[in-house]
Amino acid sequence: MSDALLHAKKVSIRFGGLKALSEFDLEIRKGDLKGLIGPNGAGKTTAFNVLTGVYLPTEGEVFVCGEKVNGRRPHQINRLGLARTFQNIRLFKELTVLDNVRIAVLAERTPLFDRTRVESLKRGPYPGRTVGSVLDALDNYRDWWRALLRTPGFLREEEGIEKRAKELLEVMGLSHRVDELARNLPYGEQRRLEIARALGTRPKVLLLDEPAAGMNTREKADLMVLIRELRSRFELGILVIEHDMKLVMGICEHLTVLDHGETIARGEPAAVRTDPKVVEAYLGEAPAHV
Amino acid sequence: MKSLAPVAIAIAVLALLQVLTASSEYFVYLSLLVGVNVVLAVSLNVINGMTGQFSIGHAGFMAVGAFASALLSQVLNQYRLGFLPEPVEHQLFFFISLVVGGAAAGMCGFIVGLPSLRLRGDYLAIVTLGFGEIILVVVRNTPTFGGALGLSGTPQYTSFFSVWFAVFIVVLFARRLLASPHGRNLVAIREDEVAAEAMGVDTTGYKVRAFVVSSFFAGVAGGLFAHFQSIITPGDSFSFVKSMEIVVMIVAGGLGSTTGAVVAAVVLTLLPEAMRAVFIQIGGGNVALAQSIDQLRKPIFGVLLVVMMLTRPQGIFGTHEAWDLFKRKKGARA
Ligand SMILES: Nc1ncnc2c1ncn2[C@@H]1O[C@H](COP(=O)(O)OP(=O)(O)O)[C@@H](O)[C@H]1O
Ligand SMILES: [Mg+2]
Repeated sequence: MSDALLHAKKVSIRFGGLKALSEFDLEIRKGDLKGLIGPNGAGKTTAFNVLTGVYLPTEGEVFVCGEKVNGRRPHQINRLGLARTFQNIRLFKELTVLDNVRIAVLAERTPLFDRTRVESLKRGPYPGRTVGSVLDALDNYRDWWRALLRTPGFLREEEGIEKRAKELLEVMGLSHRVDELARNLPYGEQRRLEIARALGTRPKVLLLDEPAAGMNTREKADLMVLIRELRSRFELGILVIEHDMKLVMGICEHLTVLDHGETIARGEPAAVRTDPKVVEAYLGEAPAHV
Repeated sequence: MKSLAPVAIAIAVLALLQVLTASSEYFVYLSLLVGVNVVLAVSLNVINGMTGQFSIGHAGFMAVGAFASALLSQVLNQYRLGFLPEPVEHQLFFFISLVVGGAAAGMCGFIVGLPSLRLRGDYLAIVTLGFGEIILVVVRNTPTFGGALGLSGTPQYTSFFSVWFAVFIVVLFARRLLASPHGRNLVAIREDEVAAEAMGVDTTGYKVRAFVVSSFFAGVAGGLFAHFQSIITPGDSFSFVKSMEIVVMIVAGGLGSTTGAVVAAVVLTLLPEAMRAVFIQIGGGNVALAQSIDQLRKPIFGVLLVVMMLTRPQGIFGTHEAWDLFKRKKGARA
């Protein structure tokens, strides 16, 4: 077993007759900053969806921190340390900027029972499984009581959550927006808020789906600098989907190029850029995108 | 404990009101009806408003609570503890019956909530609707619950105080829930289920728990209702029509707004009563006329809803709360 935080092995997914992703391989380690590029419809977002558990791969395996996650639900995979943003921005629009991040910030709560033991019970054989579910339920319903009674422990937790959420907003340059509704933010800030929210879940690996889309040149350049900072500050492995070749060449140390679901090239940006297959794939596109 | 201060204040105020209003039987009766509806509306709002699921079977949970607690109360009433003064003993039995009725409804909420793991929108609505009907059929065919004739002889324990204390608790709960991680996660599910799941929210677990807690309160409302009606029958008070009334209340008040649910429940419960009073006045005390006015309640609900949706689709309060106004000014947090 490799020590990769995120490891996809020959992952394929089919939608009816369409093979949206085939034999996709990827490894992300701590400190990696890799790029996933390719023309529109190449399967980049689909790759993210498979990695994060939105889709079940037709073939192949995905490992997060050494655990096989095929078939696990997205929230479970997130809890193992994989967080993402969405290409088509999916903020909690009617909530404030602060609440968007607070939701993602795991309560610094002390569970009633040992989490790992409950989880392993719940995945084990039957009588134990029921016990696991009951313990889990007890723990979860305790939250309702604590919310109603506002116990000192609860209030301490809330303070911790708020503090951390505000720190993350500060990092992403959104401190001045804390109390505004997410939907009222300009496009570029919404994208940054999505990153802040993803960071709230304390990920080890961050997947960014076209984080610079819709930004102007200046904003894009700033964002790229910021992404590098995030990597060192939070000791992350980062995988960025980006449509703009120039941009991604600038910051990524490794690129994987998809076209029609196939990996047509991978390696250092300089080498990938001149790869004839890559040039062809990008030339086949509408000139506006080049 | 600072967090319990509102409870102490509420108890004092309600006890005072209880004494002040004791002489006006009609007022007390109306206030009980209103209070029960407020508890129902605020609790349904947890599922439909906060979590964004769609339940139209709330009266079913109310029925479970009503029949379970009424039956238990009748049984308990045959015993005497002896060491407590009789009124205190009654209130204790009453409390136990309410909690057990609520728990029974909560259990049903768990069972009905399970399909919400797979179903959404219209499909879930149909399951909840079916549940409501099943409960009535079960009651009609169970002699223990009095069958189609209904259950009578339940001790009349419900007082102004007990109903409005329940209102107080459910409102406090709804309000504090929204200021807690658990409540925020419910709202996240309403806003974007995919994103919530991606941020580590166990969406199915939260949905089921929303059902359980909401049904618990509906069951308590049912228990309160059963203890001031001389007879409860598996008919109109717990039917689909009742469920729809509650849905109308929360939609009219503004889905997701507890304040809206309270205001709409009060207004929509009193409206038919007020109309009846007015028409009796006009009809010169003609009781038959007054009774037919009561029949207008449903069409009026329908017309109100249509007008409302055309002019203010987000409801009276949208998703806002009365206490948000204070919060803005003081900069404090609930
Ligand atoms: N849920 C789905 N059902 C069917 N086809 C899908 C689904 N999701 C993606 N696809 C298809 O898979 C291909 C890759 O899409 P996508 O991953 O979004 O591309 P991109 O590289 O632009 O992010 C497209 O042809 C798209 O239509
Ligand atoms: Mg895409």
